Amino acid sequence: MAPMRYGRILWAVLLCGCVGTESSSARSSGGTLAISTGGDPDILIPSLLQSVQAAQIADMVFDRLADIDDSLDIVDDKGFTPRLSDRWTWSRDSLSIAFHINPNAKWHDGVPVRSNDVRFTIASTKDSALGSPAAPLITNIDSVTTPDSATAVYWFHSRSPQQFYDAVFQMPIMPEHVWKDIAPTGWRASEAARRPIGSGQYRFVRWIPRAAVELAADSTNYRGAPKLSRVIWSIAPDFNTALTRFLTGETDFFEQLRPENVAEVRKHPELRMKQYRALQYLFAQFNLRNPNDRDRPHPIFGNRELRRALTMATDRATIVRSVYDTLGLPALGPTVRAYPTTDPNLPQIPFDLPRARQILDSLGWRAPDTNSTRSRNGRPLRFTLSVPGTSKVRVQLAVLLQEQLRKAGVRVDVEQLDFPVLIEKERKRAFDAAIGQWSTQPSPGAVRGSWGTAGSRTASGNNYGSYENPVFDAYVDSALASFNPAQRKAFFTKAYETIIQDAPAIWLAEPRVTVGYHSRLELAPLRPDAWWAHIAAWWIPADKRIPRDNAPASTTPAAQRAGQKTSTPTPTP
Amino acid sequence: MLGYIARRLAQAAVIVAVVAAITFVLIHLAPGDPFSAVIDNPNVSEKVRATLRAQYGLDRPLPEQFVRYANSLVHGELGWSFSHDRSVREVLGRALPNTLLLMGVALVGSFGLGILIALIQVARRGSVTDHVLSGLSLFFFSMPDFWLAILALLAFTYWLPIFPVGGAVDPVMHEYMGLGSRILDRLRHLALPAITLTLLASAAVARYQRAALLDVLPADYIRTARLKGLTEGEILRRHALRNALLPIISLIGLSFPALLTGAFFIEKIFAWPGMGYAVVNAIATRDYPLVVGGVIIGSIMVTLGSLLADLLYAWADPRLRSH
Repeated sequence: MAPMRYGRILWAVLLCGCVGTESSSARSSGGTLAISTGGDPDILIPSLLQSVQAAQIADMVFDRLADIDDSLDIVDDKGFTPRLSDRWTWSRDSLSIAFHINPNAKWHDGVPVRSNDVRFTIASTKDSALGSPAAPLITNIDSVTTPDSATAVYWFHSRSPQQFYDAVFQMPIMPEHVWKDIAPTGWRASEAARRPIGSGQYRFVRWIPRAAVELAADSTNYRGAPKLSRVIWSIAPDFNTALTRFLTGETDFFEQLRPENVAEVRKHPELRMKQYRALQYLFAQFNLRNPNDRDRPHPIFGNRELRRALTMATDRATIVRSVYDTLGLPALGPTVRAYPTTDPNLPQIPFDLPRARQILDSLGWRAPDTNSTRSRNGRPLRFTLSVPGTSKVRVQLAVLLQEQLRKAGVRVDVEQLDFPVLIEKERKRAFDAAIGQWSTQPSPGAVRGSWGTAGSRTASGNNYGSYENPVFDAYVDSALASFNPAQRKAFFTKAYETIIQDAPAIWLAEPRVTVGYHSRLELAPLRPDAWWAHIAAWWIPADKRIPRDNAPASTTPAAQRAGQKTSTPTPTP
Repeated sequence: MLGYIARRLAQAAVIVAVVAAITFVLIHLAPGDPFSAVIDNPNVSEKVRATLRAQYGLDRPLPEQFVRYANSLVHGELGWSFSHDRSVREVLGRALPNTLLLMGVALVGSFGLGILIALIQVARRGSVTDHVLSGLSLFFFSMPDFWLAILALLAFTYWLPIFPVGGAVDPVMHEYMGLGSRILDRLRHLALPAITLTLLASAAVARYQRAALLDVLPADYIRTARLKGLTEGEILRRHALRNALLPIISLIGLSFPALLTGAFFIEKIFAWPGMGYAVVNAIATRDYPLVVGGVIIGSIMVTLGSLLADLLYAWADPRLRSH
């Protein structure tokens, strides 16, 4: 339906040509990027990974058919750039898309990328025996057929504005010849899971558990060699250790500085900081159903006016400034500003403490004086706010919220929990209120599962607070079904306005993520959903290189030469 | 002696089995499971998590899971680590040598340093040196291990950057170094965590050893040695120290659990890829098999340490050999 924009490609080529002419000598390839990170990747199989570290590595080792650009426009294909597929054609009814595979694309073991790899990737991800977290994201894809080795045709159940996004973005392409002889239940245990073979601009070199992961530039890549020769994730589980590595120059890049680290980084003239709009928002979620009897409303939060009063009693701007300083903004609702569908001027329930007190009085929640806890029919206006104790930011948010609601005569007991314990309580809907956080994808559609009725009624849903409003659901569905950008934004705006006024949560903060990096490093723009998306374009000027930049980018470092074991034995089918 | 060792090993096996069973039940009773922790992404549905739970048998009743686990243990398998997606044997097999290296260096270092401090204190008992060393011992003895580790990290990697920040080797350059440089690199990375753990453990040794030396100094054989004209240093080294070492040998067995738990925190702060680092993370992520596996290895180390101390004690004191 929507042919690829050749004009866009022409402009991109011209732009690249200009940049290349301008500074080709300074941008000679080479250099090592050492990234300070807090954890090991869980697994390096795109269809099974869940940790952010694994996503970073897999995104660089594996290519997609096409990649989203920084605008995060996911409607149809206009916001996408060719990758493994150099062109594509929509069917007349738009229920299928034929992707032509770039004939120069090869796996890192030298085998050409073919259409059967695409078919295999989708079929294996949909296989319930694998248990892929990505499976629910590609339910609209019926199947993939391969009329020839260079063409993969995606067949969809229904026409949808984000069907192209679903087809190309949710799942990088995996090599069939590596995985086809391994039963899905044996993938996690397989050698291939720890030595991934992809087609991206970086190829896997080594993974030393709990120490480092190294990638090297694929100099013969069909997209061209990246600027940096090596990328190494240096793993330290303790935040301070990871930060100190960055501050002392052992690493070049730190992916998420906390507000209290900013002053320390500023003391180092060789270090720089950069902010970008991340796809995260934090909120204090109310449980709208009674934890002891889900058929009944929550004795406190079942009342919409009371929830609105609690929101009104919360000075969100002050809370965000206290916790994030300038590195965060009050959240707009169940969305983030980086989405093109988000209106940054969404009307909010204003901070108005006297009005909040009046509403609570009118609802029968009264107190003898302003310092006492309100009560109604002998029941105090008191609830427990659960928060993961391991998250310093969320604990701070909870404590500040507790203090602000105290001024309205509401008693909040902050309960710090182990993270798995909190998740268990939320899954069972056995909580009063909790400080939550969603890290979303480029598609705003996740709001349906996390705040829509569908996510509330099933035990498997992520709508832990059980907020249900058919008007909100309808607006979200309409937005997701709309091909017109303006109309799509209008529907989402209506949906957000509805949920903001219903106040199933106090929308607290939208962090602006701050990365730290060494000044010798020249960064490309940081994409909101994945700061690492353009690492292949990062570079280190030749005159700023240090000894570690000149280490040979070898595929066979000493550990492998010495026969160091880096993975598990053969899988059990 | 062989019969004694066999009896002690049998006792140790029972202790380890009981500890493993208790740990298995307790960690499974704790709220949450391995697949509930990674859900920051709203797109990961409960259905997927349920599939994963079924794949790993976590949907089965607890007694059935226990029997299956016990059966795998009998066959020498410690299970499958959910968080590492590797066998527990492989995860711990990689981590254990690092922990043993750290503990071994700290054990030798702490006892050597502790005994030396005690000798100096007793040789100069009542002096300013004695009081200062007592104060320092008490300071390190009462200091939380994680706090000292963070302080050492900041002091010697950031304010005075003479050691690398963490890890067992330089993650960027180690694989490209020559043999000599690689050994040096490993030693540089070992130094700070080992010194921290040594300081923590040596304080107790110094205090015990000082007390033990003061106990033997009034003995008749010490007085005899003095009458023979030996110097105070010779008396301390050749007569007092040998006899005062017996309580310290007991302390070796007792120090194993302390060193092991101390190593857990030290490993996390210094990103030392040992067992503690793996197991602490496993507790947070409800990686049941790795937690139980770590506890089994830990309890084996502690019981064997205790046995070793008893054997050393018997070797050092001829009066005990007949028992």
